[in-house]
Amino acid sequence: MNTSLNLDKDHLTACISCGLCLPHCPTYQVTQDESRSPRGRISLMRGVENGLMPLSKEVVESMDTCVQCLGCETACPSGVQYGELIAQTREVLSDHRKVSFRLRVGLWILLHMRVLLVGSRVLAVLQRLRLVPTKALPVPSRIPLRGGRYVEHDDPEVILFTGCVMDVWLSQVHEAALSVLDSIGIRYMISGNQSGCCGALHSHAGFRSTAKNQALQVISALPTDLPILVDSAGCGAVLKEYGSLLGTQEAKFFSSRVYDIHEWLINDSKWQESLPPRRLGSRKVIVQDPCHLRHVQKAHGSVRELLTPFVDCLELDDEGLCCGAGGAFSVDQPELAKEIRDEKLKSIQRAGGHLVVSANPGCMIHLESAGVEILHPIQVVAEYIGGRDDHE
Amino acid sequence: MNRSRQGDQLFRELCRDIGADRVHRDGASQLLYSRDGSAFPGGIPGVVCFPETTQHVVDCIKAANRHDRSFVPRGAGTGLAGGAVPCDAPLVISTTKMNSILEVNYEKRFAWVEPGVVNLDLTKSLTGTGFHFAPDPSSQQSCTIGGNVANNSGGPHCLAYGVTNAHILAIEVVLPDGTLVELGDVDGHASGYDLRGVFVGGEGTLGIATRIAVKLTPDPPEICTLLLDFMDVADAAKTVSAIIASGIVPAAIEMMDKRIVNVVEEFVKVGYPTDAAAVLIIEVDGLPKGVKIEVERIQSISLEHGARSVRVASSDEEREQIWKGRKSAFGAVAQIQPGYYLHDTVIPRTKLVEVLEAVYEIANRYELIVMNVFHAGDGNLHPLLVFDPQVPGIMERVLAAGEEIVQVSLDAGGVLSGEHGIGLEKKRFMEKLFSEEDLAAQKLLKDAFDPDGRANPFKVLPSGASCGEVNHLNQLPDGAWV
Amino acid sequence: MGMNDLEDFRESVGESGPVAVVGGRTHWTVGGNPTDDTRLVSAPVGIDSFDPSEMTVSVKAGTTLKDLNEELSRYRQEVCLEGSSETTVGGALMIGTDGIRRNLIGSVRETLLQAEYVDAKGKLIKAGGPTVKNVTGYDLCRLLVGSLGTLGLVGRVILRTRPQSEKSVWLQGGLQPEEARHVCFQPSSLLWNGKETFIQLEGYGIDVDSEVLKLKNLGYEEMGTKCPISIPRFRHKFVNGMCLDGGIVDVYSSILYKSTEAAEPQHSNEVVRLGNKVRTMFDPSGRLNPGRDPYRAGP
Ligand SMILES: Cc1cc2nc3c(=O)[nH]c(=O)nc-3n(C[C@H](O)[C@H](O)[C@H](O)COP(=O)(O)OP(=O)(O)OC[C@H]3O[C@@H](n4cnc5c(N)ncnc54)[C@H](O)[C@@H]3O)c2cc1C
Ligand SMILES: Cc1cc2nc3c(=O)[nH]c(=O)nc-3n(C[C@H](O)[C@H](O)[C@H](O)COP(=O)(O)OP(=O)(O)OC[C@H]3O[C@@H](n4cnc5c(N)ncnc54)[C@H](O)[C@@H]3O)c2cc1C
Ligand code: SF4
Ligand code: SF4
Repeated sequence: MNTSLNLDKDHLTACISCGLCLPHCPTYQVTQDESRSPRGRISLMRGVENGLMPLSKEVVESMDTCVQCLGCETACPSGVQYGELIAQTREVLSDHRKVSFRLRVGLWILLHMRVLLVGSRVLAVLQRLRLVPTKALPVPSRIPLRGGRYVEHDDPEVILFTGCVMDVWLSQVHEAALSVLDSIGIRYMISGNQSGCCGALHSHAGFRSTAKNQALQVISALPTDLPILVDSAGCGAVLKEYGSLLGTQEAKFFSSRVYDIHEWLINDSKWQESLPPRRLGSRKVIVQDPCHLRHVQKAHGSVRELLTPFVDCLELDDEGLCCGAGGAFSVDQPELAKEIRDEKLKSIQRAGGHLVVSANPGCMIHLESAGVEILHPIQVVAEYIGGRDDHE
Repeated sequence: MNRSRQGDQLFRELCRDIGADRVHRDGASQLLYSRDGSAFPGGIPGVVCFPETTQHVVDCIKAANRHDRSFVPRGAGTGLAGGAVPCDAPLVISTTKMNSILEVNYEKRFAWVEPGVVNLDLTKSLTGTGFHFAPDPSSQQSCTIGGNVANNSGGPHCLAYGVTNAHILAIEVVLPDGTLVELGDVDGHASGYDLRGVFVGGEGTLGIATRIAVKLTPDPPEICTLLLDFMDVADAAKTVSAIIASGIVPAAIEMMDKRIVNVVEEFVKVGYPTDAAAVLIIEVDGLPKGVKIEVERIQSISLEHGARSVRVASSDEEREQIWKGRKSAFGAVAQIQPGYYLHDTVIPRTKLVEVLEAVYEIANRYELIVMNVFHAGDGNLHPLLVFDPQVPGIMERVLAAGEEIVQVSLDAGGVLSGEHGIGLEKKRFMEKLFSEEDLAAQKLLKDAFDPDGRANPFKVLPSGASCGEVNHLNQLPDGAWV
Repeated sequence: MGMNDLEDFRESVGESGPVAVVGGRTHWTVGGNPTDDTRLVSAPVGIDSFDPSEMTVSVKAGTTLKDLNEELSRYRQEVCLEGSSETTVGGALMIGTDGIRRNLIGSVRETLLQAEYVDAKGKLIKAGGPTVKNVTGYDLCRLLVGSLGTLGLVGRVILRTRPQSEKSVWLQGGLQPEEARHVCFQPSSLLWNGKETFIQLEGYGIDVDSEVLKLKNLGYEEMGTKCPISIPRFRHKFVNGMCLDGGIVDVYSSILYKSTEAAEPQHSNEVVRLGNKVRTMFDPSGRLNPGRDPYRAGP
């Protein structure tokens, strides 16, 4: 077995083992164990690269338990590119067939919209018949019986990226996003089934070649030069990374068109013109930053900016610590994901236990299944200025 | 019985006594628990233990004693002197899972905490109560109170408030023979020998702290932070001496020279003047009128001594920004070069000008880059020699320059370490400061606590033997600080 | 009286036979009397160097606190040691108890930076270092403070100094300790005689004035710069609800000052065993201050 991880030596040596990242790592926070920390994972990578460590079971576990939230990258004053290191490491590990069966099946399903649609319908019906517990599965407590059906404009100004899981499970978020666009008079189209899954989860699990295929498929399905608005932080992060993933001009141009929907709205003149003159009430909302928005896209400020005309935004006291959803992490590492979520729940309680908003479907589902009352920020905005009333 | 069979037996007993999931001895754990923040090379742990109670710690130490093994206490592993680096395959006892705040008593102003509580977590948990824990090392977001106690850590605000020792009232300690004792008391005046006072700063060589009573300090009603900049480093240094000489003891006086200011500004973008030769961050706190008086005095003293401008932080955010830059300084340095070597000497604050000049001269002579970011108010230097370890022969130059810096500091009437401790790294300099008899006297203390030499051996005091499988100094691992 | 040389002091201590340093004799019996055969020597006297801009002073241990403070106050500085006119620097350190101003000025333990002492073998040893911050090696200075001269006989020390407060004033009033402790930011002393509280405020004149005003509005009366009540000599540990019996409570440190001697303090066997081990290591033949025991001294 080839045990080289082919890591960039400069990236590896940039880590000076200072430990300043430790408190920002969710897996270290719940285990207090170096092998579950960024510093530890980097040391192990270095050990493997230097031939001091075999690619042992413990090393693989250490890498598998990383949520890839990149809280460590934001916290690291030395600028260690942890995201690059772990992505590369996971790719090599996936080649060694060390990814769990459960995760593989899940990832396969995402690529097959029909299976996903049918499977979800079945689950939705079972939920309504109370044949499956709603809290035990990493799926929303109430899956819609149908996917989203949207009215598009002939002459669109923007594209709303609808992805895979989210379109099936959380179509009301897309509907809220569209209703906000409607209300300020933006014409749109949706990416729909032809573009399908963005490949985010595959990329995280180390299946880079699958991710690359998905990237090519998405890019070719959306050939215009319209801005692409994304209401899933995880998808948005990956779409923005197509440029560096594929390295082509076309992919770079594509990525430059991608915006998180909040980020795009606050900079849009129509939005700014239609802002209400003053705050409408004093409803309190806790903002939970998805890691892909905060640590990867670094666009988390825009959620607050978008919400403040309507509600009071409360901050959590954990400085953007991950909630444990982490793409497919909650499927792959359920116990750890739950422990990390418990920390988040405590933080939500300390903030007063109000309605939580989170701009990523994975986080929404993960937190909702623990009984947290949660909405997507755009749903809250839609409540105030939405063009259509979509709420059940 | 050979060592590995004996090791198996020890491992089994530990699993039995504290639970198998709390005992690790796989290769990954051995690698990870062989280093601390200094990445100073030593040996590897025989076994890594994760006790969750005082009784677990007692059990670990008793097991070690039965098998004639040494043990090394470990907190978050941010130490900069190799204090938590294992030598000779010891038990590494990680306190990170003992991280509860056990009791907070506002009336008597103390809190009992477990040693693995992270420094900043304690402070955060006190937000809004009107109290805080004063020691604030720059690593406070990660380092543990147990580590702070063991290293007697400092921080910017220790100028007026005192280092960790002044904030520790009592400590529950498991002694190297497994006995449990409580040193000191929460009222701060136990009679008898002040064993609490010597345990603080003992670098884990006197036993393991399992519960710590810390003092809570009232939040000052008024805080004012100043950012001063100078076109000449010597002017900044003279200003520091002049402020102290005028009878003002600010809460903090920190200095950063031009190079470090530029690196930090690049990273945090807080508006430090990048063309200045040096900046001072000065914080004054207390009752509002006194704060105003001191701010005015500091302004006029610094202008007299050549300050180009004095910026007074006008909001809490601005204040936080100014401090964020200072606290990120160490880490940000690594953006320039992957390696750095730093000393922690303290000099009389009246000697700042000449010693700083000598430090720059030494670095120039060895063709090295030096950056200075330090606790100027108490004369605690942190000259950072920044380098690329891949360059052939560079380690010899770095070490030689480092040794000269130490010598210059001692010649000026200074000491070896102000807050990072001696650990493995600086014990080779101990003879420069203390005579053989002085060191023998210190050894008496160690022998009283640890007659068999099992607690964190090879640290602090110079000894004939070196750390087990210790590598040579100039064979640094990747990305190492020395 | 007094030698001025450390070497002379070392010789006078010698290498054998029971020996103790006598200071001002003001707390001579604390921890027990020395045995009859104990030879008494004096520590050298004199201020070696005082650098006001460094805020440290190097002083020989036999110097009286009065002489030291006279010199320091010329530069408006002081040390955190208290005593009467006979008290010596060495004696105050060896007794090591904190004063009633601890809340503001800190503990005696924080004051001693470096000590040169003669050990049981008659050798001159240096502990600690001259700078205000120092973690180089084990801090034997911590061990010496409060050791009653049982670990080494101190010849010269370097102490931390602090700026004297611009203004200091005592007030007397009717608030009970629990209420009184929250009124002002950082009183230097807070005493209680069971009926009234006595508060000492120090700092910049204008800050003190506004705090005084606050207290006057609560019915407090200004009492001048001297402590308005006399503090009895013996220290007892104070626990809430305890009968004061005519004593005075130092509220911040829970000390009850009384005119009767306290019962011997209770220590756990483990602590005493460890402390005695330290003593035996430093003085295997038991020649330093035989008869005295720090574990028999009060709080
Ligand atoms: C970026 C950075 C900035 C820093 N800034 C500062 C600073 O401003 N001021 C400062 O003083 N230091 C600073 N340090 C050094 C370091 O953070 C401190 O020394 C800290 O107190 C170490 O705590 P730790 O929990 O990481 O201890 P570790 O590194 O794990 O251990 C340190 C020592 O303590 C012992 N120890 C740990 N826990 C216990 C226990 N429970 N009982 C007995 N012994 C124990 C260990 O054996 C070891 O000798 C900095 C370090 C870094 C990396
Ligand atoms: C709030 C407060 C107020 C106080 N007020 C007073 C006061 O008003 N009056 C007063 O007298 N004290 C007062 N004290 C106590 C004072 O601080 C000293 O502890 C005391 O005066 C001892 O000094 P001395 O020179 O008389 O020592 P001595 O009584 O002579 O000796 C005390 C002990 O120290 C040993 N010793 C002395 N010098 C040395 C040395 N150089 N090396 C080794 N061992 C040595 C002796 O052998 C003996 O065991 C006060 C303390 C506090 C906390
Ligand atoms: S990743 Fe960055 S923050 Fe973490 S230990 Fe390495 S250098 Fe420090
Ligand atoms: S990506 Fe997240 S889980 Fe992984 S090491 Fe970094 S902080 Fe920890």
